Amino acid sequence: MPSLVAAAFEAPYLDYAALAPEIVLTGVLLAVLVVDLFVDEDRKAVVAQLAGVGLLASLLPVVFLAVDGDDRSMFSGAYVVDDFALVFKALFLVSGYVVLLMSTDHIEEGDYWKGEYSFLLLSSLLGMVVMSSARDLLTIFVALELLSIPAYMLAGWRKRDLRSNEAALKYYLLGVLSSAVMLYGMSLVFGATGTTVLEDIARELGGDASEPLVALGIFFIVVGFAFKVSAVPFHFWAPDTYEGAPLPVTAFLSVASKAAGFVALLELIFMGFFGQDNVWQPLFWVLAVLTMTVGNLVALRQTNIVRLLAYSSVAQAGYMLVPFAVGGSSDEAAGTAQTAVIVYLLIYAAMNLGAFAIVMTVARRTRSGEISSYGGLFTYAPGLTVLMTIFVFSLAGIPPFGGWFAKFYIFKSAVDAGTGWALALAVVAGVNSVIALFYYAGVAREMWMQPVPGDDRTPIRVPPALGAALGITAVAVMAIGVYPQAFARLGDLAQLAVR
Amino acid sequence: MTPALSITATAILAVATKVDIAVFAACVVIVLCGAIGVVVSRNPVHAALFLVLTLFGMAVLFVAQEAHFLAAVQVIVYAGAIVVLFLFVIMLLGVDREENVMAEPLRGQRPLAFLLGAIALAEIFLLAQGTQWATGATQVAGPAGGPGSNVEKLARVIFTRYLLAFEVTSVLLVIAVVGAVVLARRYETTATESPAAAQVEEPQSPRSEAPLSAAPPPAAPDESHPDESHPDESQPAGEPDAAPSGAR
Repeated sequence: MPSLVAAAFEAPYLDYAALAPEIVLTGVLLAVLVVDLFVDEDRKAVVAQLAGVGLLASLLPVVFLAVDGDDRSMFSGAYVVDDFALVFKALFLVSGYVVLLMSTDHIEEGDYWKGEYSFLLLSSLLGMVVMSSARDLLTIFVALELLSIPAYMLAGWRKRDLRSNEAALKYYLLGVLSSAVMLYGMSLVFGATGTTVLEDIARELGGDASEPLVALGIFFIVVGFAFKVSAVPFHFWAPDTYEGAPLPVTAFLSVASKAAGFVALLELIFMGFFGQDNVWQPLFWVLAVLTMTVGNLVALRQTNIVRLLAYSSVAQAGYMLVPFAVGGSSDEAAGTAQTAVIVYLLIYAAMNLGAFAIVMTVARRTRSGEISSYGGLFTYAPGLTVLMTIFVFSLAGIPPFGGWFAKFYIFKSAVDAGTGWALALAVVAGVNSVIALFYYAGVAREMWMQPVPGDDRTPIRVPPALGAALGITAVAVMAIGVYPQAFARLGDLAQLAVR
Repeated sequence: MTPALSITATAILAVATKVDIAVFAACVVIVLCGAIGVVVSRNPVHAALFLVLTLFGMAVLFVAQEAHFLAAVQVIVYAGAIVVLFLFVIMLLGVDREENVMAEPLRGQRPLAFLLGAIALAEIFLLAQGTQWATGATQVAGPAGGPGSNVEKLARVIFTRYLLAFEVTSVLLVIAVVGAVVLARRYETTATESPAAAQVEEPQSPRSEAPLSAAPPPAAPDESHPDESHPDESQPAGEPDAAPSGAR
């Protein structure tokens, strides 16, 4: 019989300062849920405002922690607050705020449940914030579920639209399938190493040749996250989901959700599995080549701006996979690769959110997502046209704007690695950048040079919240383009220590 | 359990007591009867109840292995929560009567299922007989060392090392409840769908008459798009097959 006298319980070490962003965010989302119950239907805007203020409030501890500068670790290294975590927490909170701004009018005018929308958006953000600090398999998995499950529901938020239902169902089924595959991989890795903490996994695995068990585990985990970041051939859900979901949710999925997938990949690959580069490096090489090429080639043929942005976001994920495929040869290469991914994620968030904000603004009047409906936009909405041109050229990677710098870092990581495979990958990425220019420039050409369809030239009214979202993203894209060193420094600071 | 794969039946018999064998034999009968009942019963509710029988048999086997916590979880989570969920769904969907299960949704499904089942079974036997590499060298399962029962140790781990994941999971459950309610709830007022709810992809304006001459590449029909070389037809931009009539 086991002894009935329990050994003294030792409370785990909790650093409440380090957990402050999560605690504030959880408090805010519960407050949103409760306040929503007591607010009349015509005053629901209060709930969204509360959510926005709450998001900014949870950004404050992130700033304080960054100023403080100490690395804090809890639960035997399972939960770490370091520069990497703080940079991504800030990214998620800010992009969540921009999405909330974009949602305000869309949700207000549509026939949606408004309070619960903010609640689910915040809870998905909470999952991402947890993900930035997670350093063990279990926490990563729970964070992933926490950020995905609200997103499945948000994708189907237009309940009476068949296409939105389809979007949610496809996203849900493939998401659950990928979670299952990933969890199986995690269980194999746990079985081989006997631990879930990434640091200990790295120590157990070392740089030895892989056991089949470990190789299979890593393979399944990477495949699971490939679904999440919509890498080809696991991208099939992305275009339909992006098209069917409400537009702010699409923006959220294509930026924040994708970034969270990459954050998890960075943690897993560079902290946990770094020694096993013979397993993941070829896998990422194939994924990167396929994702870039298929994404760009299919994007060329799109006539709908949302589908175009969907495939463009698939292609952009391909660029971000490049550093993974070249980062395994040395510690130095790993550092460069991490900086490249981090910088790209930060810049991609700004430019893609901006592009979606423009699409939403224009769609408020034209009621169309066809690229042809952008004809002659310059003649009646010059400000929006200039901004959209900046965003698409930035996505294409043309110099004065932020995107070129992100691409530059991707190429730098590949060229620095210097192996034949890395250089081949750089060439593929280069060819793809040229292909991408065609469809991005096609949008610009439509806006600047084509006649106005239907000759309807009434100016477009920009609601204040959308205007604010546009302002934040435009300033970010321009600032990065003009003064990229600041972001490079962020990327360097935020590197994870490679074991 | 890992080494057991390579231990032969005689070795097992050597260490097992008569009580062990009797318990095992009784459980095997219960588990197998339940499993066969799930497959052959025509009433879905009966199938679900047979599943409970199987799960209880498994729970007793866990007790015999001294995995008391696992046995409790097996009864509470599987036999309790999950089967009740099954029954809810069965009754909500109104299929709680005899179904003709002989109709095959896919042709050749049955023989294929038999074939794959046989292959899987053969694989298990082969792996058990031959190599051990599939399970790796490190064994992390088995009775945990140190004082205290398994339950106590699990509780200790959950509330110390995995405290954060545990708390986050509780938030996740709240979210799931809210989401399920929102998705299942009907609108109180049949408010007319305001135009802003219409998604941008639905070309309601007569803009589709505008020639798509500015499309970057020459018009080539995408697999998911209507042929755009007939610009005078007003077409929905989405997938014609997936969203019939593009209705909302």
